[in-house]
Amino acid sequence: MNDTENLDSELGNSTSSRRIFLKQSSALAALAMTPPTAVAAVNTGIQEKIATALEQMPLRLTINGKVQQLSIEPRVTLLDLLREQLHLTGTKKGCDHGQCGACTVHVDGARVNSCLTLAMTTEGCTVTTIEGLTVGDPATTLLHPMQEAFIKHDGFQCGYCTPGQIMSAVACIREGHANTPEEVREYMSGNICRCGAYANIVNAIMDVKKKGARV
Amino acid sequence: MNPFQFTRVTTPKAAISAVTKESGTYFLAGGTNLIDLMKREVILPERLVDINRLPLATIEKTATGLRIGAMAKNAAVADNELVKKHVPLLSQALNAGASAQLRNMATVGGNMMQRTRCPYFYDPSMPCNKRSPVQAGPDKGRANGPSGCGAIGGHNRMHAIFGASNKCIAVHPSDMCIALVALDATVNVSGPKGDRTIPFSEFHRLPGDLPQKDNTLLPGELIMSVDLPTNRFADNSYYLKVRDRASYAFALLSVGVGIDMKRGTIQDVRLAMGGVAHKPWRLTAAEAFLKGKPATEANFKQAATLAMQGAKGYGENDFKLTLAPNAIVDALKTATKTA
Amino acid sequence: MTNKTKNPPIDRIDGRMKVTGGAKYFADFELPNTAYCVIVGSEIAKGAIASLDTQKAQGAPGVVGVFTHQNMPPIPGWDAPVGGEADGPAPKPKTEETYRILSSPKILFDGQPVAIVVADTYERATYAASLVKVTYTKQAPRTDLEKHLSEGVAPKGAEGGNYLRGAADGYKTAPVTLEAHYTIPVEVHNPMELHGILAHWTDDKQLMIYAKTQGVNATQNAMAQAFKIDPKTIHVHTEFMGGGFGMGLRTWPQETAVVAIARKIGRPLKLVMNRSQMFTLVGHRPYTVQTINMGADQAGKLIGIAHAATAETASYEDFTEATVNMTKFMYACPNVSTRYRIVRLDRSVPIWMRGPGEATGAFALESAMDEMAHKLNLDPIDFRLRNYSETDPERNRPYSSKNLKEAYQRGADAIGWKERRNQPGSTRDGGWQIGYGMSTGVFSAFRWEASARALLKADGSLTIQSAVTDIGPGTGTALTMIAHTVLGVPLNRIRIEYGDTSLPKAPTQGGSAIVSAVGSAVYDACTAIKTELMQLALKAGGPLAGQQTDELTLADGVLSVSAEPKKKVAVSDLMQANKLTVIDKTKDSKGSPEQEKYSMYSFSVHFVQVRVNPLTGVVRVSKAVSVADSGRIVSPKTAASQMIGGVAGGIGMALTEEAIIDHRFGRFVNNNLADYHVAVHADVPAIETIMIDKPDPIINPMGAKGMGEIALIGFAGAVANAVFNATGQRVRELPITPDKVMQKLT
Repeated sequence: MNDTENLDSELGNSTSSRRIFLKQSSALAALAMTPPTAVAAVNTGIQEKIATALEQMPLRLTINGKVQQLSIEPRVTLLDLLREQLHLTGTKKGCDHGQCGACTVHVDGARVNSCLTLAMTTEGCTVTTIEGLTVGDPATTLLHPMQEAFIKHDGFQCGYCTPGQIMSAVACIREGHANTPEEVREYMSGNICRCGAYANIVNAIMDVKKKGARV
Repeated sequence: MNPFQFTRVTTPKAAISAVTKESGTYFLAGGTNLIDLMKREVILPERLVDINRLPLATIEKTATGLRIGAMAKNAAVADNELVKKHVPLLSQALNAGASAQLRNMATVGGNMMQRTRCPYFYDPSMPCNKRSPVQAGPDKGRANGPSGCGAIGGHNRMHAIFGASNKCIAVHPSDMCIALVALDATVNVSGPKGDRTIPFSEFHRLPGDLPQKDNTLLPGELIMSVDLPTNRFADNSYYLKVRDRASYAFALLSVGVGIDMKRGTIQDVRLAMGGVAHKPWRLTAAEAFLKGKPATEANFKQAATLAMQGAKGYGENDFKLTLAPNAIVDALKTATKTA
Repeated sequence: MTNKTKNPPIDRIDGRMKVTGGAKYFADFELPNTAYCVIVGSEIAKGAIASLDTQKAQGAPGVVGVFTHQNMPPIPGWDAPVGGEADGPAPKPKTEETYRILSSPKILFDGQPVAIVVADTYERATYAASLVKVTYTKQAPRTDLEKHLSEGVAPKGAEGGNYLRGAADGYKTAPVTLEAHYTIPVEVHNPMELHGILAHWTDDKQLMIYAKTQGVNATQNAMAQAFKIDPKTIHVHTEFMGGGFGMGLRTWPQETAVVAIARKIGRPLKLVMNRSQMFTLVGHRPYTVQTINMGADQAGKLIGIAHAATAETASYEDFTEATVNMTKFMYACPNVSTRYRIVRLDRSVPIWMRGPGEATGAFALESAMDEMAHKLNLDPIDFRLRNYSETDPERNRPYSSKNLKEAYQRGADAIGWKERRNQPGSTRDGGWQIGYGMSTGVFSAFRWEASARALLKADGSLTIQSAVTDIGPGTGTALTMIAHTVLGVPLNRIRIEYGDTSLPKAPTQGGSAIVSAVGSAVYDACTAIKTELMQLALKAGGPLAGQQTDELTLADGVLSVSAEPKKKVAVSDLMQANKLTVIDKTKDSKGSPEQEKYSMYSFSVHFVQVRVNPLTGVVRVSKAVSVADSGRIVSPKTAASQMIGGVAGGIGMALTEEAIIDHRFGRFVNNNLADYHVAVHADVPAIETIMIDKPDPIINPMGAKGMGEIALIGFAGAVANAVFNATGQRVRELPITPDKVMQKLT
């Protein structure tokens, strides 16, 4: 067991080596590609701060109207980027394999599973999460019609799948796939609700659709 | 996920060059299957080439039918007016697959490249010849896991009844491909040695002794587009998918039907099944039998019997020997509106 | 009394937080310098670790530590059961085997943690975990209950005893008999939220935990026991929980391990398990095989029932549940015997899953009732009515309330039961067969001890506090409604704080008991405030002096004389006059000995219409009606949601859910949400819920009984019975998948 060593290096001052390395690697970073040495560095276990610099790539995208200029590892999914780095925890991890829909967000207007989306593939894209449906403090702000409808029809219980259901529901109407309850059920089937609020969710979506509010 | 290099390309030429240069390099399109497999440590790429910026997403009418770009999203194809009008079977099949979110991500080319859903393939601690064609030695670690076929003698409820080998009884999981094989599609690919066209029925392959090979693509080849010839099946098309829940589930089996019918007589017919073989399974004997015959239940049953020749169960999937002919009859009845 | 009138439907009080993404579940909390950990699970189900190589993982970027049985920091309380529920039911009797996480090379079940890898990011921890190399000495696992049925043992405790009323084989003497075997596969709770924990030792003695638990006090106690520290030094927070369905009814060993490692590394540590680990590390509904023998006379009177159940448990812990209990009292039947056995296998331990054993048992009993009704050529409702128990035949005492006859009637009317033909296979719609089925559900109504605090401020606002967790049923909403009803404070002036150990103690959320338990405490605390307000108003010199308590009404912040509304005083004025800024009452509440004279149960009836495609075997639930007889409904809107949730869960249980083990490896082959099929939108039709909504006079001041379990209990039986009615095929092994229903082409 040598976790103390790791703890030491974690706390140790490796800024200088990192700075030197970053200087050397700036040309490589400009290629928008992690150089092969990064993988080698990881496998040989060289200074991890250097590895960190090597592993990361630039990413620029717009999230909820805000331009984000980031530096991330290519293996970071959009879901983990949102939750663990950008403090947007409204988007949930339910399965991490595209099998439940809790992580649904909009990328360039299309609903997708953010858990199977490498963040790097969203370069230049516009991402909307549940936090982006409204502006301001969630406790007081004016809600989106779909959010209002979910409250009115009690379209949730534990609430964990709810952000994904709502993002999916908004897209469902925008896509034109909310014409009948049957169609809604089919096109919402990528969002699992284990509490079983389905019937109320369908009612909420049909209500919004019928009222014709702009979603 | 293991660390990997990430490259973004904007031209097919650059994509092919990038993937050819070094081994362990994979194209990344929608990622719905590849990222999943990477998270499960079934595939451990050293490099990913992001091809999402390739200008290959067009759906257009051609002199001989329709051309669908390889990077067209499944949802875009399913909702495309040309597709719905001329090849509704394709739209139906696409909409029977996955979820709205996944269809927004997955591409036509990626859908064709899907790996099997066999649980033994997906779990690197279980034996699988497709994942580990050669038994990993002790020094190779667990990246590949044990070889062998876990499904033979194991849980094979979802598995093949046609064309399997003693190395592999997995099935191809795509719905879209069932429609494409039924509709006589061809696949346009580009590779380091140039462009070529592959008939869809020859794109996927049976496992034989090389279960690790799902298809006949050569190293470095990139799917550019799929061509669909003009047909007369639009009015009598049906995709029947039998699955364990009403949506968002892989097929126990599926049947794709396209019929050109005049006054109750079948002028021409296309029939294919999914969830029964390592490749989309075209039912040519049943087609030949039905051609020129009246659309009657008796004929459907006889066609179904013909379709089942050579079928073999592996235990848990024996029920497919009954379900398959039933489903063929049910699909034919629905497509001919004689249900 | 609040139970005299029906309560209005109100919106869920935490709805806004849930629809905006503002609701914070354990993994959403952020603490500076948090490390992430990932569990490496065993790939074998029985044997031992032969070798363990963590060097590569140690050397991977960002790795803080790799913890295995060789270097796991000590957990001082390991001389006591780890993770046993400290606050709920008693810890299970010890078996010969013991399981202590990361304490030995011995492998007792598939997925058992063999290492926990800690790194500075989630990605790095996950990758490093893949670098841990483990080799095993394998032994053949025993995981197949069907192969080991003969090894059943009677568990210690209440559920191990055989029950007998009349003659054990009384059913044999009946003119009409049946014997049937029913099987329920392993089902997995699979709440949408992944399990895990975020633990932070603010110093060596102070522990902050963000948990996924159905009881913060239970987690607090379990950790106090494990680390031998004062519970008061442990702060547990679970305001929002992304579903539990029973899997959060105990503190799991990996939670304790994370807390121990967090202390060792001296920084906050977060574990979010993956979906596959949800199948092995947080319990499941056990595979259960049941046999029912039933006898009745031609007049449709039950003569005898014998109900035997055998369920799997772990080699290292006995799990038991009340699978056979419903049979003891549901029907008036002179001869009843039940037997419950468990088989210890190389499996991870089960835990109660929604409706727990009662749902398993109800599938068998209510299927058998349908089978017998068919044999007798009786309508299934009629058959049940002929054997209706007006009093509890098990304990020979009255029910505290039972309106099941009304429930049968109203449900039958709503589903269109008169369309049902008693002869199976006689209704068709094109290529589809139509069938109707029904089933009864029942679950004990509890009144556990709980405490709550109510604070009425002079500005007219009211705060309610209780440590109870709201896992989704709408606990907070129901408690708000109770406070509103007692004190007349407008709903928007009531604030509720819950899910935190800094608040008054409450039981673990489970057993459909929370509105009854915590609701009563809220009722009592609010009533104490009301009493004080009245005393202030009525005392000599008070504004309403001379009146009697029962002449007063309290509503909208005003205390008035009911008969003369002009005689009134504003609560705020009353408090100001008495120099009170707040009236603060905390109450412990529990049931009275009077309740011992009654049997208290909630009842449900489920009705379904199914459509069956005989060619493909596909079954669709096309209509569903669920009726609840659970006393006064406190919060009609959230209660209805619980009922529709039970239907969705019931459809899954009936048609799709089954966790499949390859017994050669003792390992699941469908441990993910693509292959373990919980119901999706397309599986669930519009649902009609009916509430009988009549107060129970015995259980608690609200007259309210539980809802969560009865929403599910019995539903699977209703579907199986409907499939039989549609097709003539009786499926006794859940789930009812297409292969079990399709009919051969003729």
